[in-house]
Amino acid sequence: MPAAVLLAAAVVAALLATHTLSVAVICVVLLAAAWRAPARRRWPYLVGTLVSALFLFCVTPFVEQVGSHPLWTGPTVPVLGTLDVTTEELHGALFQALRLAAVGLAFAVYALRLDHDRLLAGAGWARRSALAVALATRLVPLLERDVRDLRVALRGRNVDLPAVRLLSPLLAGSLERGLNVAEAMEARGYGRAARTRAPRPGWGMLDRVALAAAAALVGAGALWL
Amino acid sequence: MAVAAVEGVRFAYGDGVRALDGVSLSIRDGEHLALLGPSGSGKSTLLRALAGLVPHFHGGTFAGRVVVGGRDTREARPADLAGVVATVFQDPEDQAVLNRVTNEVAFGLENLATPPGEIWPRVEEALAAVGAEHLADRAVAELSGGELQRVALASALALRPRLLLLDEPTSQLDPDAADAFFDLVESLPCAVVVSEQRPARPLAHADRVVFVERGRVVLDAPREDALSWLAANRPAYVELPPELLCDVRGVAFSYGDRGVLAGAALQVRRGEIVALTGPNGAGKTTLAKIAAGLLRPDEGSVRHGRAALLVQDPGRHLVTERVLDEVALGADERRALRALRDVGLEWALERHPRDLSAGERERLALAAVLATEPELLVLDEPTRGVDPERKAELAALLRAHAPRRGTLVVTHDLVWARSLADRIVELSGIVAHA
Repeated sequence: MPAAVLLAAAVVAALLATHTLSVAVICVVLLAAAWRAPARRRWPYLVGTLVSALFLFCVTPFVEQVGSHPLWTGPTVPVLGTLDVTTEELHGALFQALRLAAVGLAFAVYALRLDHDRLLAGAGWARRSALAVALATRLVPLLERDVRDLRVALRGRNVDLPAVRLLSPLLAGSLERGLNVAEAMEARGYGRAARTRAPRPGWGMLDRVALAAAAALVGAGALWL
Repeated sequence: MAVAAVEGVRFAYGDGVRALDGVSLSIRDGEHLALLGPSGSGKSTLLRALAGLVPHFHGGTFAGRVVVGGRDTREARPADLAGVVATVFQDPEDQAVLNRVTNEVAFGLENLATPPGEIWPRVEEALAAVGAEHLADRAVAELSGGELQRVALASALALRPRLLLLDEPTSQLDPDAADAFFDLVESLPCAVVVSEQRPARPLAHADRVVFVERGRVVLDAPREDALSWLAANRPAYVELPPELLCDVRGVAFSYGDRGVLAGAALQVRRGEIVALTGPNGAGKTTLAKIAAGLLRPDEGSVRHGRAALLVQDPGRHLVTERVLDEVALGADERRALRALRDVGLEWALERHPRDLSAGERERLALAAVLATEPELLVLDEPTRGVDPERKAELAALLRAHAPRRGTLVVTHDLVWARSLADRIVELSGIVAHA
C-alpha cells in the first residue's frame, strides 16, 4: 500500500511541478523502477507510454497558439487557425509529454512491480474498487498473450490479417474472460455482506518511510519543483 | 440424506436455446457421480444449476426447483450457496482472482467470513490435500495448466463443501496427473459431481453415472448398470476411442535461459499419424510449433512441407463474424464448405462463431485448418473438451485424410492416441526420441 501511495505521489508531483527538468527527473526515476521488471513483461507498458508521449509531443504545437519565436509557419486551417510551431510551443509540448510519460510510467511500475494482493488486502473499505483495478491491470499482460496466441493461431492456418482485424476478437475474448472470472468469483462467495481477512504482516519501517516520502514528494511538487 | 435435489428443471438461455429439459436428480451426501454426455448436451448447465449460477448469473428462463443443502437456489444467491457447494470450472485460467497461490486459495474463505485465525491453516491443508504445498509461494501467472488446475481444486476444497462440482477437471492434466487427481477426488468425503469428456476415469471412480443428452437425463444408474447400458447404447463411451501424431528431428530450444528441448528427434511421413505425448511442461507444444515451422530451433535441423497448426484452445482465436468467412479466410469458399461439411458444421454457415458452443468452435477451428489442405497437419491437444463421440468422429476424419498428408497430434489422451496413431513418441524430460 505505501508503495502505491508513493507512486501516486510521484504522479501528483509530476502534475504539480512547473519545471520541465523536475518532471523529467521523475520520469527517469520511474523508468528505472519499471526497467527492473522482466523485459518480456515490461515492453507493452513502455512502448505504450512512449508512443502516447510522442503523439502528444507532436500534436501539441499544432493546437496551441503561444509564443513569439516561430520556427515554422504553415497554412491557415479553419477552426485551428494558422498552423505554426514556435519555440515556446515545443517547450510546452515537451512538458506535457513528460507529464503524460510520468503517469504512464507510474502505471507501469504499479502493474509490473507491486504486489496487487497486498494492495488489495490493505485497501480496507475500498476493497471492491481495488479488486476491480487489480483485475483490470491484469488485462494488459493477458491481452498481450492473447495477441501472441491469436497470431500463432492465424499463422498456423497460413492466414495473415492486419492488426486492426484482431481488435474485435480480442475485445470479445476479454469480455468472455471477464464473465468467466465474475462467475467464478460469485461461486466462491464474493459479494456476501460479511467477510473477514486473512491475517497479514503489518507495515514495517520501510513502509512508513515510503509514506513519509510520498507526503514530502507531493509537498515538494507543489512548492519547489 | 440428499445434499442436492433437482426437480423437473427446464432452462433456456437468453437466446432461447433450451439447455435443460425436465431434469430430475437427487445427490446423496458423499456420493460420487459421473456426469457424461455429448458436447452441448447440458452437462455444464446442470452443474451451474446445482451451484445456483443458473439462473442467477446467466439469466434465461428457469422452471422447476433445485435444492442444495436445504436451500432453494431460486431464493439463495450463488454467493450464499458457496461453502455448501464449490465449483471447479473448465478453464482454470479464467477462475483465478488473485496473484499469489495462497491468497487465491484464501479468497473464498475470506468471502465466507471464516475466522481469520483459521484461514491460513485451512489454506495449507487444502494445498496439501491436492499435493500442491510446493506451489504456495508461487505467482498464479507462472503456473502451468496442470498446476493451476490443482490450485483451483484447492480453492474449492478449502471451503469444505458438502457438494463439489467439477467441470472437466482433468482437461489440462497429463495422464499420470489425471489419475492422481481422480484418486484424490475419490478419497474426498463430500458429494462430487464430475463432468468429463474423457469418461474412462470418472467411470472407474464413480458410484453412479448420469448420462445427459439434449438437456434430458437418459441414464441415471449405479456404475455397473451404467457400464452395461453404455456398452449397448453409447459404445464410444466405454470402448477405447482413437487418436494422435507429430514430426521433427534433433533440435534444441530454449525460452531465454530455460531449456525446453535438447536433442529432440521426430519424424512424420506422408500417410502416417504420429502422436506426441509426455507430461505437462515437457515441451510438446514447443516441439509441435517447431514441426510446423512456427518456431526456429536453437540447434538441429527441421524440414517440413506446407504445414498448418491447430493450436490449443483454438475456439478462442476466431476472428470473423460468420462461420463461413472464418474458414474461407485461408482458403476459397469451395474448400471452406467442404471442410465445414467434414466437421459437421454445414448447418452453421451464417452463424456468428462466438454463438457456437465450445465444442463447435473447436470443430470450426479444425475446419479452418483443414481447408488450407496442408501437407503436414499438426494438432495441439485437439481432444481437450471434446466428447467421446466427437473424438471418434475426429479420429475417423483424421484417418480419412491421413493418406493425403502427414499428421502430428500432441495429446495427453493416451487411449485416443493408441487407437489413432501409427506411432507414439514419448517426450520425457527434455529429450524426445522418434
